[in-house]
Amino acid sequence: MSPRRATSGGRIDRLRTIRFTFDGKAFTGHAGDTLASALLANGVTLFGRSFKYHRPRGVLTAGVDEPNALVTVLRGDVREPNVPSTAVEIYDGLVAESQNRFPSLKWDVSAVNQLAGKLISAGFYYKTFMGPAIGPFKGTRFWMLCEHFIRRAAGLGRAGRAADPSRYERMNAFCDVLVVGSGPAGLMAAAAAADKGARVIVAELDARLGGSANWSGETIDGMPAAEWAAGLAEGLKTHPNIRVLPRTTVWGFYDGNMLAALERVTDHKERPAKGEPRHRHWVIRTKKVVLATGAMERPLIFPGNDRPGVMLASAARRYANEFGVLAGSKVALFTNNDNAYHAAVALQKAGAGIAAIIDVRANISDAMRNLASDAGAQIHTGHAVVATEGRTAVTSIKVQRFEATNGGLSGEARTIQADCLLMSGGWSPAIHLASQAGAKARWDNELQAFLPPEPTQSWIGAGAFNGSFSTTEAIAEGHAAGLAAAGAKAAANDDLPVADAVAGDPAPAPVFEIRANGKSFVDFQHDVTSEDVRLAHREGFVSVEHLKRYTTLGMATDQGKTSNIPGLAIMAAALGKPIPEVGTTRFRPPFAPVSIGSLAAERYGDIRPERLTPMHDWHVKNGASFYAAGLWHRPMIYGHAGETIEQAYVREAKATRETAGIVDVSTLGKIAVQGPDAAEFLDRVYTNMFSTLAIGKARYGFMLREDGIAMDDGTTWRLGKNDFLMTTTTANAGKVMQHLEYFLDIIWPDLKVTLTSVTDQWAGAAIGGPKARDILASCVKGTPVDNAALPFMGIVHGKIADVPVMICRLSFSGEMAFEVYSGADYGTHVWQALIDAGKPFGLVPYGLEALGTMRIEKGHVTGAEIDGRTTARDLHLDWMLSSKKPFIGSAMMDRNGLTSSDRLQLVGLLSLDNRPFNGGAHVVEELDEQNPHGSIGHITAACYSPALGRYIALALVKGGKARHGSRAFVSDPLRKRFGPVQIVSHHFYDPEGSRMHG
Amino acid sequence: MLITCPYCGPRDVSEFTYQGDGNRERPAPASQNLDAWNEYVYDRLNPAGDHNEVWQHSGGCRSHLRVVRNTLTHEISSVVFARGHVPHRSPSRRGAKA
Amino acid sequence: MAERLSPLEPVLRPGSRGQFENGVGVVLSEIAPGSIIQLAAWPGQEKAIIAAIKKVTGLALPDGAGGGVANGQKAAFGFAPAKFIVVDEAESISEALTKAVSPEVGTVTDLSHGRTAIRISGAKAAWVLAKFFAIDFSLVAFPVGAGRSTVHHDIFAQIQRSAPDQFDVYVFRSFARSFWHALCRASEEVGYEVR
Repeated sequence: MSPRRATSGGRIDRLRTIRFTFDGKAFTGHAGDTLASALLANGVTLFGRSFKYHRPRGVLTAGVDEPNALVTVLRGDVREPNVPSTAVEIYDGLVAESQNRFPSLKWDVSAVNQLAGKLISAGFYYKTFMGPAIGPFKGTRFWMLCEHFIRRAAGLGRAGRAADPSRYERMNAFCDVLVVGSGPAGLMAAAAAADKGARVIVAELDARLGGSANWSGETIDGMPAAEWAAGLAEGLKTHPNIRVLPRTTVWGFYDGNMLAALERVTDHKERPAKGEPRHRHWVIRTKKVVLATGAMERPLIFPGNDRPGVMLASAARRYANEFGVLAGSKVALFTNNDNAYHAAVALQKAGAGIAAIIDVRANISDAMRNLASDAGAQIHTGHAVVATEGRTAVTSIKVQRFEATNGGLSGEARTIQADCLLMSGGWSPAIHLASQAGAKARWDNELQAFLPPEPTQSWIGAGAFNGSFSTTEAIAEGHAAGLAAAGAKAAANDDLPVADAVAGDPAPAPVFEIRANGKSFVDFQHDVTSEDVRLAHREGFVSVEHLKRYTTLGMATDQGKTSNIPGLAIMAAALGKPIPEVGTTRFRPPFAPVSIGSLAAERYGDIRPERLTPMHDWHVKNGASFYAAGLWHRPMIYGHAGETIEQAYVREAKATRETAGIVDVSTLGKIAVQGPDAAEFLDRVYTNMFSTLAIGKARYGFMLREDGIAMDDGTTWRLGKNDFLMTTTTANAGKVMQHLEYFLDIIWPDLKVTLTSVTDQWAGAAIGGPKARDILASCVKGTPVDNAALPFMGIVHGKIADVPVMICRLSFSGEMAFEVYSGADYGTHVWQALIDAGKPFGLVPYGLEALGTMRIEKGHVTGAEIDGRTTARDLHLDWMLSSKKPFIGSAMMDRNGLTSSDRLQLVGLLSLDNRPFNGGAHVVEELDEQNPHGSIGHITAACYSPALGRYIALALVKGGKARHGSRAFVSDPLRKRFGPVQIVSHHFYDPEGSRMHG
Repeated sequence: MLITCPYCGPRDVSEFTYQGDGNRERPAPASQNLDAWNEYVYDRLNPAGDHNEVWQHSGGCRSHLRVVRNTLTHEISSVVFARGHVPHRSPSRRGAKA
Repeated sequence: MAERLSPLEPVLRPGSRGQFENGVGVVLSEIAPGSIIQLAAWPGQEKAIIAAIKKVTGLALPDGAGGGVANGQKAAFGFAPAKFIVVDEAESISEALTKAVSPEVGTVTDLSHGRTAIRISGAKAAWVLAKFFAIDFSLVAFPVGAGRSTVHHDIFAQIQRSAPDQFDVYVFRSFARSFWHALCRASEEVGYEVR
């Protein structure tokens, strides 16, 4: 048997042996062990080195509040640092490492920091590494130099670089009652609520339900508490109204009774089952919450309280009763309350020897004296521990006479031999979630603890969370809370289980610290001592919030679960104020660390939402490379072997202008605008008229925002008297839809108009070029496509390859062009028919690059120019502004600032040095490469123009129209591109539009 | 935060889009009163307490809603369809500017 | 007429996958109805639209937000105030509905190509869908026949519960493949069969 494993007892499965390694050494434990309990059972006392001083540290707690015994868990190449070993369930093949030690845990070179400990006090880094006022290391430069070395020496675990292959998931849940915690209070609450018909979720952060019942050693309804809890838990698991979530930490309490929880689905398994996520991020919306989160024991603050072997009394009790592990063979206890006496009995029963109980109180009850004598412990009342000794584990302690009322020490220090010191400084209810939910906790002077606030949201507390520390109280409160949460009342004759335990006084003596020589740790994880807290006070920090930031108390991964209250008490004593006047910080989410992966969940990796056009697979098969345009995937080029991107788009654009090209325009936003008032609505929305548009015709439309700035453009087709099809730019589709819906709902609710997103209903192919009409004529049935039947901006209906299509003659490329729309499920069919029909004519498919090139040549605007700052006039679209009617933006568009002549206006640029431009480059009047300045505008889009045979760009330039024909320079210091340009009209190519009207 | 859509029931705030201060009043379309337009386009109330807001259930039925939300507590005291409801505008709007 | 091509065609591979050794938790399939039609009523005309739906399809829509009905071949449900979706195996009901709904009553919009209908059925259907949508899938909150409008990130969805353990999810066609992949992934842990 292991040196510290009791011969019997505990909830572990002694028949199942689990093999794992810690720091490369092989160990065994049992199923049901945590890493901490298994290592303790193997006699390991040293778990890690501390944050700042590299002091040896052991296990302090038995749960999620652990500040010391943090480890790194390795799975393959993936490292998860800073995991409390007290919360890691062991599995076969588990590999864990200790942290913050070099070269090894036992021999750590940075432990010399302990000798320099006086120097590394609170604020040390800020003070020491502030550089001189002048010189090469002035100000923070010196700090930045030193930071590198400091960061290496300080800190905790190290994150890995390997990508995490685990799967994470989100889960939405709804229920009537969420019970947080499954101790006696939580179990009773869940059962009571579910029996009244409520839908219940029970979340327990441990693997095993039962909470304190698993380790109290008490008797409930005549059976061991653990068995009672297991029986009740089994009933919950099979209850049709209850979902039980073990290994689930409820970490956030948000508005509207929405709670966030992390379920660790597979962390305890050797490998996940197929499809199983590692973590599940639960978002639970519940009508009522029962908070049965229990309480956490506090350490006492005295010199040497961080030595391995010093542990919380409740933790040792839990290790003994739940895991069958002894924290020591010769145990001393140090307490300010009755709780330690129960721990002494538990350890004695499990086989440990009890050396002594040191109690700061002068008087204790007979009941406690009896417990002490049961445990065979000698009691030292009115005494305190003033030192611990031993190198990497406690070997002895020193005690002195202590006066609890003034903290005075007197008499000779006496040495007591012990290999383990258990401390109990009273209990702090785990009120984190209630505090997150929105109200201030209230201080209870009797219990020396912050109790939950008055609920501001729909929650009910029960048990130790309320400061009701006895199991009998927890059972009654849990039962009542469950009923109340389900909307029922407790009856006087409800027959509740009775816990059989020696009653103790729940109130501790108001003693937090023993002031004696040596380092007394308050925050174990961040190495903050009581002296640091007093130093902060001496340096003028009075607010608990500032204290926290200055000393970093409570700011480590454990969020001060063991240190907040003692730190506060010491600060209050220094200020000479009562604790409630110093206040406590409001708890914020998360209660315990949450994996980022679980928050990213399905938003990450290859299941990110993306949009594909109906012809996507054709593009893939035909060699397209793709752009992500928002969520859309759009062909960029259909590159040939050996072609550069520029060669490909130049070829595609050239072919379009010389013969014909076809491009997928299915991504354009399409909104069906239907109803008797559709035309009137469009007149109000667009700057130009639509009520005058004939059926079977399309018109280019332009819309402004309310403030007169340009918003979007596109063509709108009139398909019937009450039936319009509006197109928007791809990027603005959602924004325009929302804009229109707003006006219809809020401003003009009397208009009879229906708006429907039909972007996905239609597949769109734009075919343009000198041969485009011939190609269409060869494949369209049921309608002519000549100039008479299909003039510019005309619409016809026909069939291509037996599929109904709608064809509109309009042009973005500047060529004679047609947009062919069909039902999306026929998109590929029609597209292929057009490709086939175009083959004899030399039709080429083209992508976004060629599309962009041709639109730049034509000077058409897109989102790069309609950038939220430009007006219709800036873009030379004032001819679109109707003066016959008001429209959205018409009142604001003529303000002085929007009409002045020196605004940025759209122009064209020609490269005079035959080199390409980049979007975002500045335009300047005088070139100064050393000190670029004097921007008069910027480039919005650039390309090589096959039609002009040179590099061109569109730009927004101050007073641009007046500069046509003048010279300027491009100044692009980021890409080191400087050179002369000529400012010209943005209509580079075919300004009369003879080609498209043809 | 949850908003109870009158059509869809209580839904997560992530399904909604904030569409601005619900106290604004759009001048008549042909109005040339630039001060009134300026107030409508740019001025926003920012009360500490109950606020008239417009939200759209953009991830649901897409209705615009008039919501009274307490900016201090996030408590929502009223949600109605914007369509068919005269907005209850805050009387202190002009005063807030001074 | 040419065959309609579903966006799921290349990715919908029948068979059982995931952890299905002890039976599948969900069955995934595409419904591919002939018609998916949206109807919208002007204020006060909802009853007239409901009557038109009854006249054309025989489906009697219950009153109330999100009310709906499904009979295997046809389905209808409300998804927004005065707005309804009608689904039919037949391709041609758009014209009949357009005739039955005058401009004074409301509008008819054909979305047959614009929405992809995915069916998820089985004991774990609600569990899998809850990974995506923040709505309550319990029978109490979401009765058989009812419709819901919701969203998974940018993927808008209209969902009808067509049987106690069966949901028909209508998503924008362009998102369908992406959503299908995600749905398959989310179904792995409970085991799924594609039909």
